[in-house]
Amino acid sequence: MSEHATTVTWTLNGKQVESPPGLTIMEAAKLHDLEIPNFCYHPGLSIAGNCRICFVESNRSPKPVISCSERIAEGLEIQTHSEMALEARNSVMEFQLINHPLDCPVCDKAGECVLQDHSYTHGPDRSRFEENKTIRHTKKLGSTISIWGNRCIVCTRCVRFCDEITGTGELCVVERGDRSVVDVFPGLPIENSLAGNVIDICPVGALIGEDFKFEARIWDMKKTSSVCAGCSRGCNIEVQSLDGFAKRIVARENPEVNEWWICDRGRYDYRYLLAADRVTDASAGGEPIDSDTADSSLNDLVSENGGIVGILVDPMMTCEELHLVNRLSSTLSDCQVAAWSTADGEAESFPNGFTISSDLHPNRAGVGAIIGKDAFSTVAKGLRRSLDAGDIDLLIVFAGFPHPDLEKKWIESIGKAKVRIVFSLQSGSWCEGADLLLPSTAPLEKEGSYLNQDGRLQRVRTLIAAGQQPFPSELVRLQALLTHLGERPRSVSSSGVFRELASSVEAFSDQSHSTLGESGCVLSSGKSAVGSMGGDA
Amino acid sequence: MAHDPTESGTAQEHTSGTTEARKKKEFFLPILKGLANTIAHIFRREPNTIFYPEERRAPYPGYRGEHRLKRDSLGREKCVACFLCSTACPSHCIEIVAEEAPWDDREKRPRIFNIDMLRCIYCGMCEEACPCDAIELTPIYNIPVLSREDAIYTKEKLLSL
Ligand code: SF4
Ligand code: SF4
Ligand code: SF4
Ligand code: SF4
Ligand code: FES
Repeated sequence: MSEHATTVTWTLNGKQVESPPGLTIMEAAKLHDLEIPNFCYHPGLSIAGNCRICFVESNRSPKPVISCSERIAEGLEIQTHSEMALEARNSVMEFQLINHPLDCPVCDKAGECVLQDHSYTHGPDRSRFEENKTIRHTKKLGSTISIWGNRCIVCTRCVRFCDEITGTGELCVVERGDRSVVDVFPGLPIENSLAGNVIDICPVGALIGEDFKFEARIWDMKKTSSVCAGCSRGCNIEVQSLDGFAKRIVARENPEVNEWWICDRGRYDYRYLLAADRVTDASAGGEPIDSDTADSSLNDLVSENGGIVGILVDPMMTCEELHLVNRLSSTLSDCQVAAWSTADGEAESFPNGFTISSDLHPNRAGVGAIIGKDAFSTVAKGLRRSLDAGDIDLLIVFAGFPHPDLEKKWIESIGKAKVRIVFSLQSGSWCEGADLLLPSTAPLEKEGSYLNQDGRLQRVRTLIAAGQQPFPSELVRLQALLTHLGERPRSVSSSGVFRELASSVEAFSDQSHSTLGESGCVLSSGKSAVGSMGGDA
Repeated sequence: MAHDPTESGTAQEHTSGTTEARKKKEFFLPILKGLANTIAHIFRREPNTIFYPEERRAPYPGYRGEHRLKRDSLGREKCVACFLCSTACPSHCIEIVAEEAPWDDREKRPRIFNIDMLRCIYCGMCEEACPCDAIELTPIYNIPVLSREDAIYTKEKLLSL
């Protein structure tokens, strides 16, 4: 043992282990791959120690201790599965289930419910309770969240979240004893921009999101790890979908970016995928055309054009798509690439440091790193001037904005190009009069990577299964176009395009889709690319 | 001790004579018995066939035929749209879409409940999985349909059976 104790030696289930000092038994055990049951413990919240399901036996106490708040110490001996520990936890489970309804068949938490899991490992298979169960309220706590009071185990995770993370304090526990349940103060519903997180952290099915209620069963859904495209922060999300339709979005832990939380815009803002004004079919001069005709028409319009070309990219495009645009522009003799964006949103900060960015574009930094730092400013100004002067023969516009709120000045200028090809997510004035209108994939339907505001490159993944896409993505169309122009041998995957990007752009060297993994990587020179991002032209 | 495969081989060779004789006995005796049964039936008076569809054979108890959805004492469907039957179904032929129940004492019910009878293998897993005793396989076995669409039983049809 060293004088300054950099590790603590203690005994876990008869085995001597070493852990960094200051950890609780539960945290330290987790580092040794032992998960101790818990309800009220949450790594992002303060320790409450009220559920008692984490009981373990200690050599320093005649009674079992709660491992979520007891800290490890030199010489401590912990038994997690001794008779005393098991009996204590089994009894806690029996108490928890006394008033718990047998709701699992209709409970939207079933399948990911912690109470179900612990009941399986610690619960008796029948109840000795013969009285009537208490009935607690089922009601709306806010516009998006309801509580099924009977299922609440009063762990206070949700209450602590509203106190500690958002600082809004809408939730509280009312009543006492077996009637206690979570509620809001009269006339003060839970309405804050992070409110949806209480649904994620509720260990049981007490807090249910109105948008997901009765929508699907957990085990039927396909889960895709991706990144939120709601703002330039790039929170990690898990998209849960059924038959290619997004059913709900939940937060995915990434200590470097969003910890365990996401904002409600990111959580609920997938509905634009099915918006009525979504462009789903290609059209030429307003007439619908089939996908193959659209492909050949795109190829012809670009290859037969000998004049000046302008390309307007949007910061919703992935780094891979931007790289292909770069390739295209270097193939064409006279071409400028500029970027445009939508109006800024409102930034919002919370006491724990969570900040929703005002920049609503997930890949503004990517545009800066790949297309150029002045793509939004000087180049954009130049392109607009050329458009207004009627100098641009062919303009290719990318408009993958879920909520287009574009400036008028661009709309007018765009109309002045002699030939215009538009990739658009939703229909709008920029699509009107386009010579060729092509549907654009939404951020949740893209395969690739985004560079966030802090220079962290993260993978986005499509929720649509391979071969099920209703139309070719921009990644496929741009590669087909480059093949047509004699630039590329054949189509490759987004990882293949990324490898090409890594070899041609300095900031991305040493990276590949596999190095990004689940939580992304900070690019060494990414920060500087982000640093001096000019405003919109 | 490890078993030597060659050992048993030699042992078999030693007894091959008797094995042959036993094989013959095991083969011919049942055949003769069966033949006797067949010949006996030739002289039977009663026909073994029935005049289907005028005459129908009663299925054995537990026979698994067409499904039905049961109703509770108030005449409402018992099904709570828990999806356990569709989860258990090995041929993925049950399609359910849930909705909020309009009754005070119930939360959830199926808005759509379709069973594709052409895909169903009549295994009865759905019936076993159901926590509410809401679905069962009836002994009805003659379920001809005129089109593939007719073979997809809707909630209304399943409740009316
Ligand atoms: S909260 Fe969990 S245990 Fe309770 S009804 Fe829902 S799924 Fe079942
Ligand atoms: S509503 Fe959920 S998170 Fe809140 S106290 Fe009850 S069980 Fe815990
Ligand atoms: S009987 Fe078997 S195959 Fe048919 S619906 Fe039920 S579970 Fe599916
Ligand atoms: S298992 Fe029973 S209650 Fe559940 S959906 Fe199927 S029929 Fe309905
Ligand atoms: S997890 Fe330790 S008391 Fe709740």
